[in-house]
Amino acid sequence: MKQLCITITTTILLVLLFPGRDLNALEKCQICHSKKEIHRSEMTGRKIPLYVDESIIARSVHHDKECTDCHSDINEIPHQTVKKVNCRRCHYSGNLVGAPDGQMYDQYEHSVHGIAVLAGNKKAPVCQDCHGTHNVYSHETVESKFYWQNIPKTCGSCHIEVYAVYSESVHGRAVAAGIKDAPVCTNCHGEHNIKKHDNDESRVSLARVSQTCTECHGPQGVVNKYNVKTDRTATFEHSFHGIGQQMGSKTVANCASCHDYHDIRGEDDPKSSVYPDNIPQTCGKKGCHPGASAEFASGQQIHINPKSEDSGIIYYISKAFLILTVLVLAGLFSFIIMDLFRKAKNARAKR
Amino acid sequence: MNDKKLNLDKRESYIKSLSNNIIESAVDIVKIEPTVEQINEIREEVTERLQYESSSLLNEAVTKLHPTSLSEMMPEEREERSFERFGKNFRYQHMLMFVSVITLIVTGMPLKFPEFDISKFIVIDLLGGLHNSTLIHRIGAVGLIIVGIWHLIYSVGSKVGRRDFFLMIPNLKDASDFMCRMRYYIGKEKNGPKFGRFSFIEKFDYWAVYWGMVIMIGSGAIMWFKELFPKYFYDIGREMHSDEGLLATLSIIIWHFYNVHFNPEVFPMSWTWWHGQLTETEMKHHHPLEYEEIIKKESLEIIKQAEKINEEENG
Repeated sequence: MKQLCITITTTILLVLLFPGRDLNALEKCQICHSKKEIHRSEMTGRKIPLYVDESIIARSVHHDKECTDCHSDINEIPHQTVKKVNCRRCHYSGNLVGAPDGQMYDQYEHSVHGIAVLAGNKKAPVCQDCHGTHNVYSHETVESKFYWQNIPKTCGSCHIEVYAVYSESVHGRAVAAGIKDAPVCTNCHGEHNIKKHDNDESRVSLARVSQTCTECHGPQGVVNKYNVKTDRTATFEHSFHGIGQQMGSKTVANCASCHDYHDIRGEDDPKSSVYPDNIPQTCGKKGCHPGASAEFASGQQIHINPKSEDSGIIYYISKAFLILTVLVLAGLFSFIIMDLFRKAKNARAKR
Repeated sequence: MNDKKLNLDKRESYIKSLSNNIIESAVDIVKIEPTVEQINEIREEVTERLQYESSSLLNEAVTKLHPTSLSEMMPEEREERSFERFGKNFRYQHMLMFVSVITLIVTGMPLKFPEFDISKFIVIDLLGGLHNSTLIHRIGAVGLIIVGIWHLIYSVGSKVGRRDFFLMIPNLKDASDFMCRMRYYIGKEKNGPKFGRFSFIEKFDYWAVYWGMVIMIGSGAIMWFKELFPKYFYDIGREMHSDEGLLATLSIIIWHFYNVHFNPEVFPMSWTWWHGQLTETEMKHHHPLEYEEIIKKESLEIIKQAEKINEEENG
């Protein structure tokens, strides 16, 4: 009887001491993984640290999850083979476990990254490469890999050269300066639905890049706040390049053809492709206007708006022709109407 | 109209019986039974001559009754005289011109209004893309340039061209004709102005094209060879090309089409561009002064010839 009592008490005590699985599971793992020096040695001699900073997990969006919720293949200690975590266990559209729901999972599979992963490219990014592993913070957290200001760096960890160029560009510098309206990689390329630039669905494809730029540089664009002209889209569409694009031409210039794509700089930056002295070179690019003379484009107004007085002579020519056209048409129409009336009158008189 | 036809039928039957009568009399006199062929031959000849004589006698009778207006009384029996308005050379110029201009409008307008579906349809679906449409536009441009040069040579080098060019120059009569036409429209004048070879309407049409050619070819050439000039040349050229293109198209559609297509007098189309001819009625109606001039010149010529013959006979 006494023995039975002890057994029951011990059991109750054990249950009381380890009530939920949650806290204790983490604690259990942390017995080893909180040690800073814990690591795994590979055959090559490389040491892979296995230290897990508990505070990171506590601040992450997964703070209420257990280690084994993600590392589901661990069932023995010490664990032998630990596979890369597959986020899709919870993150799929229509999931019931409370993971964010939406199109992004399917979008990713059809994106340039998703396709590369499926094709077996080991370097292609999976979820963790952009969202982090233990440090999956909300995008509002400053330390998040995809906090708006950190996105260039996140993408840049693979796209290093682009990152270097972008950081120097007017957009990169604006982002670094904390201007939240300035575009980071994802603003132009999209997030989960990033497509290759030669895919017509891509936000940066020939067919769509001008539209993408218009989102900010159009009449309702956010650049208005920063004293950047917003008539650029309208004037582009009015230009022969813009018309050519509307007619489906793949060879006419779009925004990026002249302004460059990552190395976009202001027109007052001597390194800019649209700096007055560099314009002839930009226009004279191979495949564009190789015969363009130095006078052709240097120091010229490129985006012409005939409706604005800033366009100078163009404005007056356009106005003059408008007046001429209206006068001529009014004259011709009234003449014809008078002629028809008189003819009708004559015909009546004859009858 | 019916009475006239009855009269004519009556005359036909008289002629038939008269010709039978003549043949019977002839057979009576010679007392030989003729063959069927012989009778038919003679009958044909006799009928023909009787018909001819009767109609010429009718003409004489009409003239005696009403000396001046034979033509007015029986206009339908008279073949109308026609006057050559445009020579072959000029007609070919016009043909090349309208082929070029239609090509230019069809390929040019979609680029002025790219936002319309019809524009995209023409350029993308019909012509197969911007590259083709700009190429066709340039072919049309070459056609128009050829017409321009051709017409300049024609205006300087050919006799008719020179005469027509000088007749095309606007003068004070055009201004007074215009005012007269306006008074005619508001009912203050019974008849409109009398025009010579070219009315102010046609002069406007001609000079509008002249102005259009200069602007369109000039600005088009700048755009074609844009790399040779500073970009603002191109911008100016483009603005002018675009604006004048629209103005010219509308002018053609409104003014030229009204005058030679939709005007009730010529609807659906005046064929003068094809055969170059005007009928005497049209001449009298549209170009009375030119008509008078031609008739005067011709009668002078006839008088001169008659005098010459007289002299030869007397001498």
